Amino acid sequence: MGAPTQAIRDLSGILPILVLWGVALVILLGAPLLRRGPGSRLAAPLGGAGALGALLVLLRGSSDGFGDTLFAGAALTDTLYSSGAFVLLLGGFLSVLVAQTYLRSRDLEKPEYYAIMLLSLSGALLMMQANDLIVLFLGLELMSFGLYVLAGFARTDAKSDEAALKYFLLGALASALMLYGIMLTYGVAASTELSNVQSAVARGALKEPMGIAAALLLVIGLCFKIAAVPFHQWSPDVYEGAPTSATAFLATTAKIGAIVAFLRVCDTIAGGYHTWLPAIRAIAILSMIVGNLIAIAQTNVKRMLAYSGVAHAGYLLVAVACMGFRLMGTKGTQASILAMTGAVFYLLAYALALIGAFGVLAYLSSRDKDAQTLNDLRGLASSQPAVGYAMVLFMLSLAGIPATAGFIGKWQVFYAVLTGGDVALAVTMALTSAMGVYYYLRVVWYIVFEESAAPKPSPTGHGVEARPRAMTGVGAAITICCIATIGLGILPAAISSFLTVVR
Amino acid sequence: MSFAVPTEHYLLLSAVLFCIGVAGVATKRNPIVVFMCIEIMLNAANLGFVALGRHFGDVGGQIYTMLIIAVAAGEVAIGLAIIVSLFRTRETIDLDEADLLKL
Repeated sequence: MGAPTQAIRDLSGILPILVLWGVALVILLGAPLLRRGPGSRLAAPLGGAGALGALLVLLRGSSDGFGDTLFAGAALTDTLYSSGAFVLLLGGFLSVLVAQTYLRSRDLEKPEYYAIMLLSLSGALLMMQANDLIVLFLGLELMSFGLYVLAGFARTDAKSDEAALKYFLLGALASALMLYGIMLTYGVAASTELSNVQSAVARGALKEPMGIAAALLLVIGLCFKIAAVPFHQWSPDVYEGAPTSATAFLATTAKIGAIVAFLRVCDTIAGGYHTWLPAIRAIAILSMIVGNLIAIAQTNVKRMLAYSGVAHAGYLLVAVACMGFRLMGTKGTQASILAMTGAVFYLLAYALALIGAFGVLAYLSSRDKDAQTLNDLRGLASSQPAVGYAMVLFMLSLAGIPATAGFIGKWQVFYAVLTGGDVALAVTMALTSAMGVYYYLRVVWYIVFEESAAPKPSPTGHGVEARPRAMTGVGAAITICCIATIGLGILPAAISSFLTVVR
Repeated sequence: MSFAVPTEHYLLLSAVLFCIGVAGVATKRNPIVVFMCIEIMLNAANLGFVALGRHFGDVGGQIYTMLIIAVAAGEVAIGLAIIVSLFRTRETIDLDEADLLKL
């Protein structure tokens, strides 16, 4: 095979990333035209087209060429990547829809927002596609840079600036810790390519002090990104301070990218599970307990969703822990594959419910009111039934009530960890899920049973302005999330051809 | 080459730099100083990569350093922009006073 064909093969393997870069570049170059006047209506459609275009390219490309390594082993395309990328780009598209309405109603819309979103998505894709720890690091940074900027996008709002600063400092710290871990890995394996790391681990690299430090620093860095206890302190502040549309985006993108990378890294170092499996199990159990406990005390819905995100990080870490069972007999291998598929489905269900929930908050926000607290949701089922019951559905899905996508995701991870024979993790997962139902149902209570604090919208006056917005982006996003949450809850097999991870 | 500095010395220096960086992040209250400490941590990793690359006779270590320097430059641009933006709205950047969002 000649060099040009190889180059074309490499580039077609990262075609979704190239599409994202291309559209982001168009938005950035066209920014002067898109900023005001008639062009300002085009920025969001361009951003949505970028995410959707990358999704279509991904779906077309995933039928040929599985498990290929690209760029001399720097990146790869496999089913873990393609299913993770499917979830990520779908979440990115829905986030553009939410942003379109929210930014406009809050007077924050600038074309750069969408360009940064697309660049951030490309970083997450690179991270999931990485076959080399340095490429993983570059993808992580490309993703995070965009997220820092989006968190601080409301530049005149002190809370948004503060959120950006906290996210940036802790994110940069996590990246530095992880980079040091990669350097130490290079020291023990003489290479950062995952296949070489795997063979170094098989030779016992994780028994040396340097290898142990490397594995733990990698785990800590990734745990920061997914906000697992005890590395979660940034998340409630960032979720609350960032503009709601940015919160929806960064909550889902960072979690999807980091969890898929986490699965890949732990799958690679499965041979040295003695070193890292106890740490992951402890972090998972702590996250599930602490996240659910603190979420109970929250009255701000964004903060509550942040702590519930910590708990969800714990559930997802249960799936990551299953990677450690891969070399423990056939049951263990089966558990690790089940856990990969389960984690991706879980991420899809989580992204749909979370973007939907933040979408509802965005829907209720206007120029002078940013809906954030339980009081803002009071009596929503009677004042705006469609949005109110959509929010109820998202809460039920996050809680993992049967007939929603959230239940299927949780069940798949639960089944995987039981197959792996780790009863302690499975029991903690079941008990803490039951604990979580309390605070999700409290939101439902506020929506359905509490009286609305504000007077009912009259045909004339303030109530009117909420109506036409149903037709804009956020209405579409909420509708898609609703249909997908119920659809996947009843017929999870409908999507399994995209989401099944094959090893 | 008998006078060449052994690789262990570089790695030790790298570990010391890394620890200085971590200690600084944990104790300093000025975000710019915290950020400088994070840069020290990145450079500790850089030093390690270069030293290990020489040790293995692998050019990869040096190339990684180039990539990391580029990443660090991007991080500086974003970090300083965020700090300037915060100063414009709050007129202070002290981390103890960045308390609008309760912990």
